[in-house]
Order: sequence, then C-alpha cells, then structure tokens
Amino acid sequence: MSHQSALTIIDEIKPDQVESLKTALGTIAAPGPLHDAIAFSALGNVHFARLVVFDQDRDLDGNPLPPKLALLTNFDGDVDAHIGAIAGTCGGGLDAVFSACVHYPEQAAVSAARREQYLRRHRVKEKALYVNRQGRTVSQILREKQLRDEIQRHLDAHPIASQSPAEVHRAIVSFVKDRSDLDWALEPEVGPSELWKRNELVHRWAGLALAVLLAPVFLISLPIFLLVLRYHEKRDVPDDSAASAESVRAFRADEDIWVHNQIIAVGVVKPGLFRRLLTEGMLKLTDYAARHIYNRGFLSGLNTIHFARWVPMDDDRRLFFSSNYDGSLESYMNDFIDKAAWGLNAIFSNGDGFPRTCFMFCGGITDEKAYKRFLPTRQVHSRVWYSAYPDLTTKNIANNAEIREGLSQTMSEAQAADWLLRLGVGNRLPASGFVARLLDSIRWDRICRNCS
Amino acid sequence: MSQLQLDDIQGLIPHGYGRLGFASFVLLAVRDAESTKSWLKTLPIRDAGSRPSADDSCVNIAFSYSGLAELGLPESLLQGFAGEFREGMTGTEHRVRILGDHGPNAPEHWHWGGRYRPAVHILLLLYAGSEDSLARLKDDHLADSHSAGLEILTQLDTNRLPEHKEHFGFRDGVAQPAIAGLGANSVDDADGNTIAAGEFLLGYPNAYGQYTARPLLADGDAELDADNLLPPAPDETGMRDLGANGSYLVFRQLGQNVSAFWRYIADQSRRADGEVDLSACTRLAAKMVGRWPGGAPLTRSPDHDDPALSSDNDFLYHRSGDAIGLKCPIGAHIRRTNPRDSLEPQPGSDRSIEVGKRHRILRRGRTYGPALSLPLTAEDLINAEPDGRERGLHFLCFNTHIGRQFEFIQHTWVNNPKFDGLYEDDDPIIGGRGHRDMPGGVFTVQAEPVRTRVTDLPPFVEMKGGEYFFMPGIRAVEFIASLT
Repeated sequence: MSHQSALTIIDEIKPDQVESLKTALGTIAAPGPLHDAIAFSALGNVHFARLVVFDQDRDLDGNPLPPKLALLTNFDGDVDAHIGAIAGTCGGGLDAVFSACVHYPEQAAVSAARREQYLRRHRVKEKALYVNRQGRTVSQILREKQLRDEIQRHLDAHPIASQSPAEVHRAIVSFVKDRSDLDWALEPEVGPSELWKRNELVHRWAGLALAVLLAPVFLISLPIFLLVLRYHEKRDVPDDSAASAESVRAFRADEDIWVHNQIIAVGVVKPGLFRRLLTEGMLKLTDYAARHIYNRGFLSGLNTIHFARWVPMDDDRRLFFSSNYDGSLESYMNDFIDKAAWGLNAIFSNGDGFPRTCFMFCGGITDEKAYKRFLPTRQVHSRVWYSAYPDLTTKNIANNAEIREGLSQTMSEAQAADWLLRLGVGNRLPASGFVARLLDSIRWDRICRNCS
Repeated sequence: MSQLQLDDIQGLIPHGYGRLGFASFVLLAVRDAESTKSWLKTLPIRDAGSRPSADDSCVNIAFSYSGLAELGLPESLLQGFAGEFREGMTGTEHRVRILGDHGPNAPEHWHWGGRYRPAVHILLLLYAGSEDSLARLKDDHLADSHSAGLEILTQLDTNRLPEHKEHFGFRDGVAQPAIAGLGANSVDDADGNTIAAGEFLLGYPNAYGQYTARPLLADGDAELDADNLLPPAPDETGMRDLGANGSYLVFRQLGQNVSAFWRYIADQSRRADGEVDLSACTRLAAKMVGRWPGGAPLTRSPDHDDPALSSDNDFLYHRSGDAIGLKCPIGAHIRRTNPRDSLEPQPGSDRSIEVGKRHRILRRGRTYGPALSLPLTAEDLINAEPDGRERGLHFLCFNTHIGRQFEFIQHTWVNNPKFDGLYEDDDPIIGGRGHRDMPGGVFTVQAEPVRTRVTDLPPFVEMKGGEYFFMPGIRAVEFIASLT
C-alpha cells in the first residue's frame, strides 16, 4: 500500500543521566524497566526500531563529543504521519525515555504537540538509506506469513496423491478461497502510491542526467583525483588496536536471539576537505544506488539486509551506520569481505582508523584479520531493538510474497510446477537489475590482486 | 606455497589414522605442573612424517586453555590465542546459544567439559592397531598418572563399526577436505575440495591468503625459549611462533538415540494397513542424511543406493542439477554441513565455491558404544529393542578459526532453520530442535508436484560433553614441557 521510510532522532543526553538511562533501558538480552516503554508494536507500521546511547567521546582534535541518545525507526508511509503517531500513541514512553535528554520539554509543559515539535527539531536526515524491497508493508509481511503457514498446514493434513501441478495449484487456491481469514490473498497487493512512484522515477532520471552532465568533469579530473586519493591513502594510519575481550563479549551477548541481528557502528570522518567531500559523494552515490540500482532485494551482492542507513552526527564530523540483517555477525562480516568489500571500502575508508585501502575499492575489509579486529572498536550497543517479524528472513518474506502472487494467476502446468516449488523452499530470489548484476560481476579479487 | 613441516605436525591432523581401529581419548587434569611437564617430555608424540602402518601405535596430545595456563604459559602468550578457545565451549551464553546447547543439550547435563564439570586440562589421544596394543599404550603412559602429576578425569573409549558406518547405519566421514601442500594437493585444484593449509594448521596462509592470529613470542622474551624450540613466524619478523603447525581441536561427544531415530522414521512410513514400509523408511532416512546407508550421495543417485558410489564425493548441488533439492533435500545433513556450490553469491559459480572454502573443517571423529544391532540395516535397527546403552560419536574436528569454521557451520548452517531459504527446518540428524522463536523439528522433502514434510522431529542426538582444545606443533609441546 505504501512505501517505506526511516526516521532518526538524535539529542544530547544530560551528562548526569547517561548511566541511569542505560540502566533503565537495559540491553537486548537483559531488558531494563524502560526497555519497552516506547510501544513500537502499537503503531502497527514499524518494521524495525531501536534506541541507541552514544557515550561521550572525542573527535580527532580532542574536542569532547557529548553523549547522545538516538531513536531509529523504519516504517510504512510518510515521516510526518509517523512523527505524529509517535508523539501521540507512544507519547508516554517517549517522555519516560527522552526526559533524560537536554532539549526535551519539561514534564509540566509536555503535550503531543510539543513532542511533535521536539521530534521535528531533532530529526536528522539519513545520508543514505537501503530498503530491501520498497512497497512491502508490515501488515503485508505478517499477513503473507500467516498465509504461507496455513497453506503448509493444509498440505500436511491433506497430502497430495497424484495430481498434476495445475490441479494442485487450483486446489490450494480453492482452499484459500474457502477461508474468510485468507481470501484477501486472492487479490494481488496494491503497491506504493502513483505519486511516490512518479517521484522515484523523476529522481532516477534526474540523477542519471546529472551523471551525464558531470561525466566530462569527472573524466578530466580523474587523474588528479587518483593522485590526491593515493596521497591520502598512503598517509592514512590504520587503527590496529583491539577492543577488549570483555567489550566484544558484551556485543555478542545481544546477538543471535532472533533470526536477524542488528549492528550499529560509528566513526569519525578523516580530517580535511578531501575526505569530507569524498564521504559526501560516496553516500550520495550509495543512496542513489540503493534507490534505483540495488532495489530488488540485493545490496551489492548481499540479500540478507532488511534495512540499513548512514546518518551524520556532530556536524558531519562523525557518521554512524546501522543495519538489520539476517544471520550472525560472523556471517555478515564474511559476506562483507567475500561479496561487498568494494562498496563498503568506498564508504568506510573515509572513517578514521579503517584498514588501509588501495585506490578506494581494494584492500580495506578484505584484510579479514584487520577488519574483524577493527569493527568491535567502532561498534555501539543498541539498548532497545524492535522487530515486527523476528522470525522472518528477507528470503522468507520475498518467497511468501511470490506464493501470494501466484494465487491470483492462471497458470500453465509448467508455471504451476515452478510456483509449487516455493512451498518446498524459498531460495530463489528475483534477479537484480542489469546494472546491479553488472556491478556484482566485477571480479574485484582479481583486479585488486596486486594493489596494496 | 610453503612446504608443510610434517615432522612438526601431530600425525592425527593430516592422516586421521584410519588404519588404526582402536582409539581412546583420555581427559586429564593437571595436579602438579612440574611432574606433568616431565611426563610430557617422555611422550612419544607421533608426527605426520609418515602414515602409520596397521600395527603402529600413535600418541597425540592437545591442551585446553586452562590446561595451558595451569602448565605456566605466560599471560603474554595466552593472550595470543583465539577468543573462542580462551573462553571455551561454554564460556559465554552467546556461544552456548549459537552451538544449540540448550534443553537436554545444556552444559549443566554434560558428563565432562564445560563450566559445570571439573576443568579438563589435557586431552591425550591414543590410537592402536589392536585392543592389546591400545591397552599397552595406556599402561605405558598413564599407569603412573599420579607421579605424572595428573588426574584421569574420564577415559572415552571408542568402538569402530563395520563399513565406516555410524550408529544410525550410514557410512560416515566420506567428504573430507584435502589440505593444500600435502602430497600433490594444490589449492588451485578445480574440484573445490582442496583447501589452503592455513585453514587447518596455524603458521600457513589461510583461505584469505592471511596468517591467522596466534600466539607469537617476541624476541625480547627469548629467555622463555632458551633452547630455540619455536620456529620463526613467517609473517612477523623477530617473532617466534608458538602456534606454528598447531590447530584448534573441537571435541563434542554426541550421544545417538538410535531407537528414537528409526522408530520416528518407521512411524512416518506406515502404509494404510499400519505396516511399516521398509523401503520408504530407508528413503526418508536417506533424504535426511543426504546419502544412502551405503554412502552413495542422493544428488548422484536419487532413487536407490549404489555401492559403486559409496565413497563418492565428486559432486556439487547447483552444477549437478539439484539446485532446488529435488534429489538431495536442501535441509539434509550433508547439504547443510557442506553446501558446496549452494552459497551466495550466484550459487553454482566459482565464486560460490570459493566462499564455501572458508568454512571447512577436518573431521577426525570416532564412534563409541556397541551397535544397537548388527549389521546396522534399517530393518534390524527398527526391530531392535531399545537397550539403554550409551552410544554415539566422539566428534573431533580441526580448524584454525573456530568462529569462521566450526561455529559458523554449527550456527549458520546446522542449527539455522532459515538455511538456504528454508523456514523452520533445523538439521534433521544432529539439530537441537526447539528454542525460543526458532522452532526447528521440521524436515521438508522438496518434491514434485509439491513438497512433503515431516514435523515434530524429536532430537536424535544429545550432547554429552565437549571442550575446545589446542593441538600444538611438536616443538611447541617441547616448549611447553620446558617452561619453568
């Protein structure tokens, strides 16, 4: 019905309330009294949400960066309505948690309108956003899960004897038709609004036009750019310190409870105009690619990410990356190294201490040892983490949608046979677009072999 | 590619000692470190220079983290070991969770190892060609354990079953990775089964071309190694390598409930008249394993066992026309534990195979306990009365990055109900079943026109004990014995 957006709220925490806030929120594995204060499920349209406490830190010049609280949500629809819903439906919880923040309205003065005003004022627009598949709402995902489960139960109870695929397909359709709680599935889902689609199209072509216009400038300045880049890369100082075993254990303690996991990592952008511009440019490209190239369930060869975002902090001096992904952190890190190193290098190599890159795309996180040591030094705890569907992977969601789609189609024997396989396993995902496949087919391991 | 230093590698790692049918694993606690170190010097530790002949006897040794600390390895070196090894198999709630050690598998119920049982310091592995020579071996090295400063915690005996079978009646141990640099094995082999030596032995480049982190001794601490026992680290100048030629040994004792397994299968395979359909039983069990009892892989021989393929390992899934699991189900045990070319990106491609090469282990397990019934046919095992005897598999495997290899396989593949697009299926054979939001206990057989599936699978395997060990190179054992 609707597209998916993201909201990020960041405010400073009153210095004397950092520890008490952490205690009140607890951790994902060991919730505190305020852990569930904000009832995300009550909103009905939130996919993922979290609360993150950033401890006081220092920038590269030694200036203090105050402690901060961040609220992150991924939801269906527009930001305006979402902010209104949080301020209203979740108002009490918001008060309880955000009263620890410097700018939150005093208890006596708080109202839905004041909360809304506060949220708008402290909203930080993400620099790049990845959505696994635009147009799939929470309600659709949950309904299609129920549909698939019910079809499976039906098949368990009524084993198929000797019918042709098209007959089995028709039998399943008539089972669904007879169930008043499932018959909605016989109509295909209505996608995002026409207006939204038109905006996306305009954005897509505008971006392309801009690229064409800028191409000559880019080509002319490429040699100089490469020289400057190499100059910077050679002067970079990778951080080879390791996080304490205790701190690594604390991150692990919150992981692998559901079928997906969350990560949040924060970095200071390397000093100087060059790095700042490069970061900006890379994130613009990332955002564009996520919207128009990697928009069919794959991000740079990875199909396990539900939502991800890159958000600036402290006047762009810092940047955090947040992601909700299927499987363990170990498999996520291996996926990064094995499949998406080039893309991640291009962004994260602008962060201070990152493993050394070579011409931006090579090196970096392909250094398994350095990367797995580095990541925990930049990780931050999500104190609260909410998922609307903790038992579904991106593959499950995509397959459920295909099962539902198939109900409203008239099928030949061959089509029915193919559709029925989806009830056995959902390991076939829709192919990426042409450009995405082209990018993913680049053998960076070969290109990068002699780059160091 | 560096030449493997076979004379410094303990023989079990590359050779497995298949010819030696008798083995015993002895779990020891150090009570007097000085005496134990003297005892260590007397041990004839078998190196990998040659494969044992049928009447050889072989001794190998491995240490737990607490064992190395007990023997006086300084903190600076202890810190160099992998976090997983330092913490141990039950070291954190997270590890217990990802290994699936909950419910009846929880460490509280183990017979040995883990945080609820007395610390195991040393694992002594004894192999021989006959029962007598195994007894002699024990006598030679453990008769006077007290004056060796050792307490024998447990002796885990083994019992080899005919035709390389495990207790459920299936030929086991067929698919093993080949170690690059051993014999003529080269990592560039197109078979996808030859793996960089550094995946199984520290001190060699791994599948990423890197040297896995391991304890190194700075030259400044050279007085610790006055006899120059440790080799130089190839990747760090001025450092000596305590890890060189060593490997992490994962040990899990898996009890197998053979009656429960075959009775469950039989109940799922009854004809309308209530009679058990034996061929349907064998077919369902084979679907769960991914091989027929004789060893033939279902991907190569989907409809019947084939003695000619009993040791066949020459197949992939996507490239062998089995992408969707119509021959070997997606959730079958052998497909989960070694998905070959099923992994992202682009299943069936060379890149997919390369990704798989970063998650392999060398299995060196042995069965224990008497067979429920010989000769282990489905019919015998279904009809045999449960005898209440302990039987199962002492699962041992070697790897250099426990998190990326053993634990990854266990968590991301074996226990993961979402493996390769599934929903609620965990490993039908060794899965731990229901836990929190991940139910497990379902097994789907992909089929045309539509899948069949069995539900409410009980667990068939139960953890009885386990620990992470380190099997050092032979000079490193001498170094440990020489610590003062």
